[in-house]
Amino acid sequence: MEEQSYRLIVEYFEKTISDEGLTQLQEWIEESPEHLEQFSETIEILEASRVYFRNRDNAIQTWARVQAHIDQEEKPVIHAKRKIRWLAYAAVALLMSTFSLVFYFHKTTVPVDYAELSNPNGQHSRILLPDSSVVYLSGGSKIRYEKTFLGTKRMVYLDGEAFFDVVHQSRRPFVVKSGEITTVVLGTSFNVKAYASENKVDVTVRTGKVGVMASVAGKTQLVRYLLPDEQLKINTDNGLYTFNKADAREVSGWINNHFVFYNTPLKEIAVSLEHRYGVKIEFTDPELGESRLTAKFKNLPLKQVMEDLTTLSGLSFTQKDNHVFISNNDQKGGKIMK
Amino acid sequence: MYPELTDEALTNLLKSDDPLALETLFDRYYKSLCQFCAVYTKDYTVAEEIIADIFIKLWDNRKESDILKIKNYLFVSARNQSINYKEKKKDPVDLVENFDLEQHLFTDKETPFRILSGRESYQRILLTIDQLPLRQREILLMSRFEHFDKQKIAEILGISVRTVETTLYQSIKQLRELLKNSSYFNSGS
Repeated sequence: MEEQSYRLIVEYFEKTISDEGLTQLQEWIEESPEHLEQFSETIEILEASRVYFRNRDNAIQTWARVQAHIDQEEKPVIHAKRKIRWLAYAAVALLMSTFSLVFYFHKTTVPVDYAELSNPNGQHSRILLPDSSVVYLSGGSKIRYEKTFLGTKRMVYLDGEAFFDVVHQSRRPFVVKSGEITTVVLGTSFNVKAYASENKVDVTVRTGKVGVMASVAGKTQLVRYLLPDEQLKINTDNGLYTFNKADAREVSGWINNHFVFYNTPLKEIAVSLEHRYGVKIEFTDPELGESRLTAKFKNLPLKQVMEDLTTLSGLSFTQKDNHVFISNNDQKGGKIMK
Repeated sequence: MYPELTDEALTNLLKSDDPLALETLFDRYYKSLCQFCAVYTKDYTVAEEIIADIFIKLWDNRKESDILKIKNYLFVSARNQSINYKEKKKDPVDLVENFDLEQHLFTDKETPFRILSGRESYQRILLTIDQLPLRQREILLMSRFEHFDKQKIAEILGISVRTVETTLYQSIKQLRELLKNSSYFNSGS
């Protein structure tokens, strides 16, 4: 019977217990104070052993070791290696500490170490931040963050696109800076698309609440708060922004290789594909990039995507190594390129 | 990476020299493997080194290896490597009794682990877990890992599911006795 009771308690703890077992367990507990004691002690032991290894791991550094080995073994691999650089801003931080009360973002007096990661076009990565928040970094994107989030804020700098799943810390906001646009959250998940080369920033919220701030003439001001499935698109050239509803699941679908485009200019779609597939897409006539399309691609090879896109838009394409040319059907007959 | 692919598909991609397949596997199992290794090494840093070596070895042997179940392969190597490490070390400082709980702790104050383990009761239990016989200790801790069930533990340790179960119950019983002797449960908490 003793073993049977342990079995029931463990099943209860693991939430795999049957209704029948639960009744049995309840009856058994009520039988005697010793049984109740055994029950509560066992639960406490199981709980404690679950937290035994809640440890912060250094997955990124460990992977860097493995990656270094792979890289050194085979040089001619096409996959560009992941860069990890540790930058020490000791001097800067020291200077800052003098003005630490004035500087909102740099209250810490310890030198701040940054980790920097970048993906070439065609490569995604998943990054575990020091606070256990997860970042999915898209192709052609770069992220920089404090190696230890010890300050009053968890600062992350982004050039490119990333999906953030942020662990809630009420006293330490998570701040994503992309140029003049700053996104501030406590704990939520959201997508930021901010390629410096594109002069626009899109923020889409999947869960929680996000504040988007813009720095205008050196002053940071709130643009607006966003709730789930709300999207803010800011043109960083002229500061104009549009606010609309968007399916955040679809916007962040790229993390699973799903692409959804609604009424999107072909040239914008092309840029997304460049980041994803690591190719260069060119239009023989820039005008061709203006036509708008709505399309969904779930985990398809580039060739399939290009075929669908060109069929939809009545165009055609040719691929030469890493270059894709989109052209008019008419021109194809001429066979200018062999 | 290919988070959507199965282990089998990744193993095949690995054989065709795709480093992203290795990275996906790494991503998928890193955390559990570290925890698993640390059951033996009791040192997270060492555990992480061991895991790095295992993935390096996996990459080097990707052609020759005829791995059917990559998950089992990873965990079995992790166990062997960890035990080897312990054997090699045999350092008196590393004795169970001298186990330093601090290395399990975050510097971050707000994590659940910190909060839970900060409670004296948990500290006591955690320290006492390390006094259990190896088999009991490993099964108690492993049965608490995410994505780890009785079958998986039985496969990796090469014992029957039944033995996993009885050992688990014995470990709890043993732990209760150890705690009782140190008058923990009677101290009114």
